[in-house]
Amino acid sequence: MAHAVKFHPSLSLLEQYTEGTLAAEVALVVAAHLDFCPHCQMLRRDIEADIGCQLEHQPASSADGDEWQQMMAQIFDAASSNDTLPDQTPAQSFSAYIEQGQHRIEIPRSVQRLAAKRKKWLQLGGIATAKLPSDGDNHLSLLLIEPNTEVPLHTHKGLEITLVLAGEMVDEAGKYAAGDLIINTPDHTHTPKNVSDQPCLCLSVLTAPLEFKQGLIRLLNPLQRFFY
Amino acid sequence: MLDRCGLTSHHAQEFPQQGSSMIVQPAPSPVANLGQWEEALNLIALHRDKGIYAELFKYFAPRLRAFGIKMFGNEQQAMEMVQDTMLNVWQKAALFDASRGCASTWIFTIARNVRFDMLRKKQSRKDDISADDLWSDGDYPEQEGSHSQQWDLYLIAEKIAPHFHALPPAQRLVMEKVYLDELSHQEVSEQLSIPLGTVKSRIRLALDRLREAIDGPRS
Repeated sequence: MAHAVKFHPSLSLLEQYTEGTLAAEVALVVAAHLDFCPHCQMLRRDIEADIGCQLEHQPASSADGDEWQQMMAQIFDAASSNDTLPDQTPAQSFSAYIEQGQHRIEIPRSVQRLAAKRKKWLQLGGIATAKLPSDGDNHLSLLLIEPNTEVPLHTHKGLEITLVLAGEMVDEAGKYAAGDLIINTPDHTHTPKNVSDQPCLCLSVLTAPLEFKQGLIRLLNPLQRFFY
Repeated sequence: MLDRCGLTSHHAQEFPQQGSSMIVQPAPSPVANLGQWEEALNLIALHRDKGIYAELFKYFAPRLRAFGIKMFGNEQQAMEMVQDTMLNVWQKAALFDASRGCASTWIFTIARNVRFDMLRKKQSRKDDISADDLWSDGDYPEQEGSHSQQWDLYLIAEKIAPHFHALPPAQRLVMEKVYLDELSHQEVSEQLSIPLGTVKSRIRLALDRLREAIDGPRS
């Protein structure tokens, strides 16, 4: 039986995602969650229908002026100059798998194109990370936690949003599997662990540098740049 | 207000659209069950009918403009978004599927995607995350298929799970054997060395206790 996703985005996060007002990196994490979660897909459709309705009932006068006539003429011009239907070129397809070390892990559709553009994997102990293209403020990356590996205790200056793409992990607050969305605020200190015998792949957005709290690791703090 | 858009569209195919502004006659063709703009999109797709498109344009373009001004806070960008969106509507009308949502919803999703990609382009980030990554084919969300039923099962299971643990140990053990290990009542009776009648009565008691935990006590 398929895994039941247990940790979902809040309704307000889903609304912002559906409107298109969420920061792109955060929206991508929500989109990947939806790839796993029929329930949130349904909510998304309900939100879309709701906004569509608002659009239809938006008060506005009919478009009769010259400006609108011109726009329509330009539309017909543009359409006849490239007359075939758009999107007829088959969409480029990207690998549905991530290969790292000995692992080959399936990833959801929404991350496939970006994952193909990842930077090279950086390995540290049982943890590997690869950056994905993202804005200056939000850092988007893949995180691979090997079996029986602990991510050192850390807090965040900003939000840390993690989506499990494959495998499972646990932290002080619970156990997470594919599709589960975990949001940690700066108040949270947590130690994610992969206690299973399978690798755990996550998509992660950080909105500020991580700060490690444990002795040596904190002194050396190699992970700070590693994660950020 | 009960609106056409409030109904999920596969329902709209099955039931008369109560509360809709249109009067629906028993339908000789599937098209007759559609609202004005859904039908318009189908006709645009089939006949490339510029007259019908012009009506749709006159209705939606100014509404999109009002939407766009709210989103961009800028008339010029709003108009750019309207033009690009309405071009997509003209070109992609054949991709509109009324069984999956109403016309205004489809037009909104196009506008959202156009706006997102416009903003990314202005930030010179068009090669990074795009609307296609975020909203699947850009026009429709994924089909949900049979997952929905599975989801209901999960919800039920999640609702029951905490109460399951609160059952008296003897009842819980029988329930686990029957519902988790999928043993027959007879097998449970043999495994636990208890009479078959006791297995059945423990199951009945446990089910009633679970029902009560969820629905409240029977009056």
